Amino acid sequence: MKLDLKLKQMNMEEIWDDYCGFLDLSMEDFMMIQNRLMEEQLELWSSCELGKTMLSTKTNHEIKTLDDFRRYFPLTTYEDYADVLLLKKGDMLPDDPIVWIQTTWEGGRHPIKLAPYSKSMLETYRNNVVACLLLATSKEKGHFNVNTGDTMLYGLAPLPYATGLLPLLLDEEITLSFLPPVKEAQEMSFSGRNKLGFKMGMKKGIDLFFAVGSVTYYISKSFSEMASKKSSSSSGKMNLSPMVVARYLKAKAVCKRENRELMPKDMFDLKGFMCAGTDNRCYKDDLEELWGIRPVEVFAGTEPGCMGCETWSRNGLYFFPDACFYEFIPFSELRKNMEDPEYKPSTCLIDEVTPGQMYELVISVLKGGAFMRYRVGDVYRCLGIGSNEDKTSLPRFEYVDRVPDVIDIAGFTRITENSINTVITLSGLETVSWFACKEFNEDNRPYMHLYVEIAAASIHTRALSTDLLRQLLSVHFKYLDNDYQDLKKILGIDPLEITILPSGTYAQYEKTGRPLPRKINPEAAEKLRFLEFCGLPYIAGNY
Amino acid sequence: MTGYSIISTCALTCYLLLFVAFLASKKTKLINSFIFLLAVLTTWTLGSFCMRCRFAPGLDFWFYISISSLFMLIYAYFVFIANYTDAPRSAFQYPVLGCSIAIIVINIVTKGVFIGAPKEVTEGDQISFVYNTDLKIIIPFIYTALVLVLYVVMIRNYVKKNLMAKQQLIPVITGVMALVLGNVLASFPMFASFPIDILSGIVNAICIMYALYSRKLFRLTLLVSKSVLYFVSGVLAILLIVGISGTTSVNLLKYLKVFGDQQILAAAIIYVLFALIFYFVLKKFVDHVFIKTELTQANDLKEFSTAITRTLKVDEIMSRLISIIETTVHTEKTYICLKDEHENCYRIMSSSSPLDGNALVIKADNPLITYLERYKDCILMEDLKRATVYKAMWDKEKQNLKMLNIQCILPLINENELVGLVLLSNKEKNVPYTINDQSYLQSLASVSSVAIKNSWLYEKVYREARTDNLTGLLNRKYFHEVLEETFNANPRGDLALIYISVDSFKLYNKLYGTVEGDKALQNIANIISASVGANGQVARYEGKTFMVILPGYDVLGAVKLADKIREQIMNLNSKDKEYSMKMLTASCGVCAIPTGAANPNQLISNVDLALYNAKRSGKNSTRSHSEGPALSVNGGQAGPGAETIPGVSDFSPRAFDQYEVAINSLTKAIDIKDHYTYGHCQNVCYYSTELSKAYGLDQNCVEIVREAALLHDIGKIGIDERILCKPDKLTDEEYAIMKRHVEQSIEIVKQLPSLSYVIPAIIGHHERFDGKGYPRGLKGEEIPLLARILCVADSFDAMISKRSYKKPMEIEYALNELENNSGTQFDPNLVKLFVKMVKDGDIQIRKSNNMDV
Repeated sequence: MKLDLKLKQMNMEEIWDDYCGFLDLSMEDFMMIQNRLMEEQLELWSSCELGKTMLSTKTNHEIKTLDDFRRYFPLTTYEDYADVLLLKKGDMLPDDPIVWIQTTWEGGRHPIKLAPYSKSMLETYRNNVVACLLLATSKEKGHFNVNTGDTMLYGLAPLPYATGLLPLLLDEEITLSFLPPVKEAQEMSFSGRNKLGFKMGMKKGIDLFFAVGSVTYYISKSFSEMASKKSSSSSGKMNLSPMVVARYLKAKAVCKRENRELMPKDMFDLKGFMCAGTDNRCYKDDLEELWGIRPVEVFAGTEPGCMGCETWSRNGLYFFPDACFYEFIPFSELRKNMEDPEYKPSTCLIDEVTPGQMYELVISVLKGGAFMRYRVGDVYRCLGIGSNEDKTSLPRFEYVDRVPDVIDIAGFTRITENSINTVITLSGLETVSWFACKEFNEDNRPYMHLYVEIAAASIHTRALSTDLLRQLLSVHFKYLDNDYQDLKKILGIDPLEITILPSGTYAQYEKTGRPLPRKINPEAAEKLRFLEFCGLPYIAGNY
Repeated sequence: MTGYSIISTCALTCYLLLFVAFLASKKTKLINSFIFLLAVLTTWTLGSFCMRCRFAPGLDFWFYISISSLFMLIYAYFVFIANYTDAPRSAFQYPVLGCSIAIIVINIVTKGVFIGAPKEVTEGDQISFVYNTDLKIIIPFIYTALVLVLYVVMIRNYVKKNLMAKQQLIPVITGVMALVLGNVLASFPMFASFPIDILSGIVNAICIMYALYSRKLFRLTLLVSKSVLYFVSGVLAILLIVGISGTTSVNLLKYLKVFGDQQILAAAIIYVLFALIFYFVLKKFVDHVFIKTELTQANDLKEFSTAITRTLKVDEIMSRLISIIETTVHTEKTYICLKDEHENCYRIMSSSSPLDGNALVIKADNPLITYLERYKDCILMEDLKRATVYKAMWDKEKQNLKMLNIQCILPLINENELVGLVLLSNKEKNVPYTINDQSYLQSLASVSSVAIKNSWLYEKVYREARTDNLTGLLNRKYFHEVLEETFNANPRGDLALIYISVDSFKLYNKLYGTVEGDKALQNIANIISASVGANGQVARYEGKTFMVILPGYDVLGAVKLADKIREQIMNLNSKDKEYSMKMLTASCGVCAIPTGAANPNQLISNVDLALYNAKRSGKNSTRSHSEGPALSVNGGQAGPGAETIPGVSDFSPRAFDQYEVAINSLTKAIDIKDHYTYGHCQNVCYYSTELSKAYGLDQNCVEIVREAALLHDIGKIGIDERILCKPDKLTDEEYAIMKRHVEQSIEIVKQLPSLSYVIPAIIGHHERFDGKGYPRGLKGEEIPLLARILCVADSFDAMISKRSYKKPMEIEYALNELENNSGTQFDPNLVKLFVKMVKDGDIQIRKSNNMDV
C-alpha cells in the first residue's frame, strides 16, 4: 500500500510503525535482522559470478558462515569491483540491476564509480526514504506531518546520481509537488534548479526541503536578495497572490523592526527539513536560524543507499537495520592500517561499538547488493547507546568526516595525496615537502590548509607570495577536479588556505628524530608538534 | 403513533445503544467526551419527548430539561471537537462551560428570558406547542455562533497541522452542520409538528460515530455485543409501547368495550403481550444475525474436538482441521505445515486441494517461526508486516507467503513447542479477518495441536518400529510379519519374492567411504521402491540386501521386474558425478509360491539359494529357484554394463596390467619435472601397499592403493619448479599454490576414466581424521579407507625424508609423531598397525631426498 493510501486509511500510529518502527528495536532484534539478512546476502552473493570470482581470488578458505566470511574475506574497496561494475556486467551480480548510480570516484584520477541497485534494494531504499521524510517532520515519537500534495524544494543532484533516486522513489509512495518538477529539474543547472525552486516556493509555499547542508546554507543566505529581486521586479510576472505579497510585506516589516535581513523562515512555514552531505555539522545551527526548523541529517551514499537518519531529537543518527550489514573499524586500527597498508584492520559489529569512539564504516549491501565488506570511506563517532529522549536502545552515531586520507570540503571534493601531488607538479612549483589538512575557521566553516615548504632554489627565481600561490594552486585544482570547480561556482567559496613554511623546516625537523607529519590530515598531536616547531599557530581539524 | 414519537423513540434508541455500548468500551479522553455528548443528546431528546407526551411532572419541567441540554450541547460539542482535534487543553474550554451554565441558569431562574416553555394549543385532534420568543433569543444564538467560530478555528488548526485528518473530519463537520440546520429549521412553522431538530440529532450521532470508527477508536463487533443488543431491544420495545399507548389507547378502548369494566385490564394485557411479542421477535432477529454464527462455530468446534480425539491419523486430523476452517471462517485456501525433524523445517503436509502446490518449506530458523514460538498467537499478515521479524525475513521467504496469498498465520503449539502452523489465504470475497475469526482459529489450534502432536508421535514410533532408518524401507523384523500376512491373506494365490544383493559393496565402501556407501544404498532403495510401486512391499533385509514381496506375481513377472531393477542400479553411477565412480551391480534371486515353494519359510530359503546361484555365476544377474541354472530375461549373462567402464567393476589382476602403462608414463613425467617427488611417490607406494596387505585388504584393494600412491602427487607437474624446489620456507601464497596439487592431481587422473577408481584415495589423502583437513573436511570413517592408508604412508615418508628446507626426522621421532596425532590426523587403527610393522621390521625404511606438503 502506498503512503498516499495509508494516510487515508490508516491511523498515524500504524503508519509510524510501518516506517519508523525500527527505532523500537532492541539491540538483539536489530542484530537478528542484520544477521539474517546478511546470511541471505551471502547466499546470493557467493553464488553469483562476482562473488565466486572474489571468493576464489581473495581467500583460500571455504566460506560457509557469516563468521567465516568476516574472518577470512578481506575488506574491499572500489578497485576490487571496478572491472565488473564499470563495464556494467549485470549478469555477474547477485541480482539484476534495475538502475546504475554514478558518482565521482577520486578527483582527477578515476572519473566515475558505478553502483548497481536491485529491485529489492530499491524497495528498501524507498521505505527508508519515507522513514526519513516522516522523521524530518516529527517533533515527538509517533507524530509526523506529511500530507499528499505537500511541496518539496529539492536541492539535490538528479539521476544518475544517488540523490536523483529520492524523488523517483518518493513519487512511488506519495504525491508530492517537487519544486521544480523532477523532469524539468533534470535538464537544469544546479543553481538554476535552486533558483526556480525558490521562485515556485514563493508562489506555492514550501512544506519540505531536502538539500546538501552547505548548499542550502549559501542559498538561504542569499534569500533576502533573491526574494526582494523577485517581488519588486516581477510580482506581476510571477503571478504572486495578494496573500504572498502581504506575507512578504509583513515579513519585511518584522525584519525592519528587528533590524535584520529577510530570512526564509519569515516567508515559509517549513514542516520538514532534511540535509545530506559532508560538514552539515557546521551549518546546522545557521540553517535552524534561517529556516526556523533544525534540519534532520540523512545518511546516504552511492554504494550503500539510504543508511540512516536522525530523529526528532536531532541528536545522532540511527542506522536502518535492513539497508546494509554494518561493521566498524576502530580508529586505532584505521591509523595502523594507514601507516601500514598491508595491515588488516579488525572490525566490530554495531552491538560492539563504544560510545565516544570513532570508527570507519564498512558495509555489505543487503538484498542483492554487489559490495561486500566495502570501505565506504566515512568516519562516524558513536554518541551513545540508546537515548531516553528518543526512547531507543540502539547506538546513535554522528558523521565525522571522510577517512583521514581524503579531504572533503562541504561534500564537494575528494582531495587525496595523489591529487595534491598532481596539482603541485602541474603548477611547476618546486617543493621540499608539504602536508594538508582540513580545518575550520572562526565561523566553523571548513577549508583545506596546505602547509608547504618551497624549494630554496625557487625562492629566488619566482614570485612566491602566499596569495599568488593560493591562486596558482586553486587554478590547477579547478582544472583537475570538476567538483572543486563547483565549490567555487555553487557555493562561491575558495576553500584553499596556504601557509608557506620557512625554508629548511623539514630538514631541521627531521634532525629532531621525530616522525614527519602525514601528508593528509596528520594526527592532532603530530601536527601540533610540527607547527610548534615552526612557530606557527595550531588550528584544529576533525582528527 | 405520530411521526414525532417515532423519531424521538428512534433517536433515544440510537443514543442509548451508543451510550451503553461506549460505556463498556475502552476509555480515552475522546471516547469520554463522546459519551458526555451522547448523554447531553439523550437528555435533550428525552426532555423533548416527555414534554410532547405531557408526562409528569409537567410540560415546564421537561421543557427546561430539554432546552438546558440543548445549551449544554454547545459545550459538549466543544469538548468533543477539542479532543478530536488534539487540542484538549483549549483556553476557551472553561469560558464556554461558564457561558453555557450561565445561559441555562439565567433561563431557568427568569423562567425563560431567552426562551420560555411553549404553550399547548389544541386544534381538533392535533396538539401543537407554540413558543413565544422575543429579541432576547438572539443572545443564545450569538453565543452559539461564537462557539461555532471556535469549532472552525480548532478544526482549521488541526487540518493545517495534519492534512491527513481532513478526510476523517468530514463526518464531524457534517454532524455539526446537521445539528445546526435541524435546530434552525425547527423554528420554522412548517416543522412545528415535525421534530426536525431531534432528527438532526440522530444524523449527528451517526456522523460522530462514523468519525470515531474511521479513526479506529473502537471495533464495531466488540461494541455491538449480545448483552447490549438484548438491553436495547428491551428498551425499544417498552418505548414503542409507550409511544403507541398515547395515541392508540383511545381507539383500542373503543374496541374493548365488550369487556365492560375489565376493558382497561384487557388493554394492559394486550400491551404486555404486544411488548413481549415485539421483544421476542427482536431477540430472534438479534440471535439470527449475531448469535447464530457464534452457536454454529461452537457446535462445529465441539464436533471437531470429538472427532479428532477418536483418531490417531495425522492426515485425518489435518483434513478435518482444513474442512472446519473453510466452513466456519470461509477461507479460500488453507495449508497446514508440520515440523520435519530431519530437515529442521516446516513443510506443507496438507492443503485445501491436492492440486495446491506443497513445495513451500519454512526453515526452522525463519524469524516467523521464532515469532510464533514466542507469541504463540494467531497473526494477520498486515500485522506481521509491521513486526520486526518481517524485516529479518529473506525476500524469497516473503515471496513464498505472497505467492500463496497468505493473510493469516495460526501456530499449532503444544507444550511450548511449535508443532506446526496453519497458513490461511484470503477469506471469500476478500472479507477481512475479524477478531472473532482470530479467537476462533486460536481455539481450533489449541484443540488440534495436541491431537496432531500425539498422532504424529504415534505415527513416528509406528514407522520407526517397522522401517529401516537409512532407507525408509520395511525392516527385517517387519518384513517377516508382512510376508506372513500377505501369504495368509491369500494362501492359494501367487506370491513371488525377489532377493537383491548389491555386488562387491565392501569394496565400494573401501573405495569411497561409508558416507558414499550409505548414499548408494539409499539410491538403490529408491530405485527398488519406485519400480515396485503399489504392487508389492520392499524391505531392507541385511546391510546390502533387499527383499521384495510381490503378491499376485509369478516367477516370470518377478524375474522381469528384477532385471529392470538391476538395469537401473547399473546406471546409477554413470552420470552427474564429479568423477566417474565404480559402477554398482546387483544380483537377484527369485522364487514364487506355489511353483517354487509352499509356504513363506520355504520361499525365503529357496530365494536365498537362487541368489547364491546368481552370485556364483559371476554376479550382476538374476536367477530363479525353480529352473536351476539360469532364467534371466537377459539370458542370465552378466550385464553388458559390466564391460562399459573396463576394469572398474572387474578388478581381475589381468585388468590392472592394462593401466600400468598409463601409470608409468605419468610417474615418468613427474620424475622428469621433480625427481624428489618421484622418489617420494615410490616410497609412499611401498609403505601403503605393505600397510594395506597387513590390514587384510584383498588383492584388488592393495593394487588400487599402490596406484593411488604412485599418482597421489601427480598434480605437482603443474606447479612452478621454483616453488617445488624452493630452498626456503614457502610463503603463504606459495603454500596456497602448493596445496592446489591435490585438485590438480584429480584433474589429471580424471582425464583417464580407466583410472578414476583411484580418485577417492587421492582426493582424501590430506583429510584429517578429526575433520580439519582439506579439501572436503571429511572426518573419521567418512574418509575412504584407502585414503586413510595413503595419508599415514605419505606423512611418514614426508617426515623422514630430507627436504630442501629441512633435515630428515629420526624414524623414532616420526613414529612418535604418528602416534601423537593418532585420532586427530590419522586413523588410530592404521597408525597402531603401521608403527608395529616398522618396529617389527615388516616395513623396511626407504630413504630418499624428497619433499611433500
